[in-house]
Amino acid sequence: MADDRTRLRRFTMVQRLWHGGLVLLFMLLSVTGIAWMYFETPWGRDLASVFGDYGDVLEVHRIAGLVMLAGFAMHIVYLLCRVDWKGFPWSLLGPETLVFQWIDVKGFLGHLGWVFGLNELPRFDRWSWWEKFDYWAVWWGLMIVGVTGLMLYNPVLTSDFMPGWLLNIALWIHRIEAVLAMGHIFTIHFTVENWRPSSFPFNAAMFDGTIELEEAKHEHPEWVARMEREGHLGAALVPPPPVPLRICYFVFGYAIIFLGLFLLVFAIANAALLTLF
Amino acid sequence: MSFGRTIIWLMGALLVPPLANGQGTEVPAELAGTGYFRDQDTLPGAYRFYRQLPGGEGGLWGLGPTRQKLSHASFRVDGHEGVADYSPELRCQKCHTQQTKDLHGLRMGITCVQCHRSQPIAGVYQYYSPLNPIRRHAYVCAKCHEGATPSFASYMVHEPNPIASEARGTFPLLYYAVWFMLILAVGVFLFFLPYTMAWWIRDLVARLRRGSDHG
Ligand code: HEC
Ligand code: HEC
Ligand code: HEC
Repeated sequence: MADDRTRLRRFTMVQRLWHGGLVLLFMLLSVTGIAWMYFETPWGRDLASVFGDYGDVLEVHRIAGLVMLAGFAMHIVYLLCRVDWKGFPWSLLGPETLVFQWIDVKGFLGHLGWVFGLNELPRFDRWSWWEKFDYWAVWWGLMIVGVTGLMLYNPVLTSDFMPGWLLNIALWIHRIEAVLAMGHIFTIHFTVENWRPSSFPFNAAMFDGTIELEEAKHEHPEWVARMEREGHLGAALVPPPPVPLRICYFVFGYAIIFLGLFLLVFAIANAALLTLF
Repeated sequence: MSFGRTIIWLMGALLVPPLANGQGTEVPAELAGTGYFRDQDTLPGAYRFYRQLPGGEGGLWGLGPTRQKLSHASFRVDGHEGVADYSPELRCQKCHTQQTKDLHGLRMGITCVQCHRSQPIAGVYQYYSPLNPIRRHAYVCAKCHEGATPSFASYMVHEPNPIASEARGTFPLLYYAVWFMLILAVGVFLFFLPYTMAWWIRDLVARLRRGSDHG
């Protein structure tokens, strides 16, 4: 019986749901945002016509943005519930949390050395430095894009609280941060998670919530060793999800990836047609 | 819409009071507007704010757009008085290339005369011009933006190129904010793109080695 339990539980149902929601909203915001940014080009108008006229595109963009911020607020509540307040603030440290610690500096330098062939791959615990970076990048991105997005949601109302010309600045910050976020996801995040030879073609960890034990031993050896030492490795092992489900994850994941690449390629190809200043 | 309003009110409640107390960013009472265009909204009372002259205001307001040079045309009833080759039949874009790059024109297809009104086109600071900052919000912006206030109308419709060095003088906060964001974004890509590529290659090498160890 033990033989089919080859996968290690890594993400909870709530975490997977939130990641899925983030993916869907991020893509919806990307499509509508790029359509609006490229609205002066034929491609931008075609993209926008999927939703209707420009008013509809903006409305979808605004509502999706609010839903995303609501999800972000719920995530913060979730975090507040998950913190171990008895041991606070030391409970924020340790291998199980996503808080950056000294070990991540060492992990980063060790990883850098490994990439250039200077030393062995560092023995990462549950979270490697880039996984923590990816998590906090969403925070920083959502803060910047969220605040400026709320400012632009209703420009007239916003200018009751601050000078109207801050809207010029808000739009630029919103735009640059959005391009940064999309560029990062559609190139770096996709590559690191899915196209590295060791995870090619598709890393379903965030969809089915588990990773292959063999892979974990290689990418997170310290985590596996620690669980073995503490004696709950066995309980964390699960069989792979049924094949139909895995096909669904794969199809969903690659639909998103192709949509991202489509936006990336056409945005670059049409960039010369944009009037920015 | 009303849900969005609530959210923005909440954001205002959360973000703005500390700013306003600390750094004098409060919207001056004359600029907040009443929502009804009463006399106080369209009379020269707060003219000093609207001129956007350099060094006029402290705090955040001082980092906003300022007019560096004012031309005589800005104060004329007919801004094209004395412009030799001007004819109302010509397309505005032919001569004013600098004013064709904003989203009102490019994305919403709003024409110049929807804001600048009919011929003769008045200078933007001419006393009776609809675009005079005293009444710009009420006479121009409010046509499409319900409840536009003077503060709202301080938005730069024809914004300067934010990364050009002139913007440091004409719109300092825009200049610094955009450069900050650009350096952040470019920095992230300059680091991560080559790093990811090198990592990919290293990963392949490691995998091939592991494969040959097994075999
Ligand atoms: C033949 C070229 C030409 C055409 C066509 C033209 N303009 Fe002008 N416009 C000028 C020149 C030159 C000035 C004077 C600029 C100065 O002295 O600063 C001017 C001045 C103005 C001003 C006043 C500038 C200020 O600082 O207040 C406005 C507003 C204006 N034009 C709008 C328009 C609009 C709207 C149209 C289209 C209906 C238009 N122009 C068509 C050449 C042109
Ligand atoms: C959404 C309204 C709007 C539209 C549309 C618009 N303008 Fe303006 N324009 C303004 C405002 C507001 C100012 C005053 C800017 C200031 O106070 O510095 C202005 C100023 C100007 C000036 C004076 C110089 C400057 O840049 O401040 C010129 C020239 C001008 N506009 C030309 C045009 C032309 C040409 C078009 C069409 C391509 C156009 N505008 C479309 C609102 C508009
Ligand atoms: C002819 C109609 C019209 C006029 C006049 C007009 N606007 Fe607009 N404006 C629009 C439309 C349409 C949009 C985009 C619709 C939306 O944001 O929902 C817009 C959007 C904006 C935005 C939001 C920009 C963004 O980045 O989302 C600002 C700020 C703005 N206008 C300022 C002004 C100011 C200031 C004036 C007066 C000088 C003005 N508008 C006059 C039609 C107009």
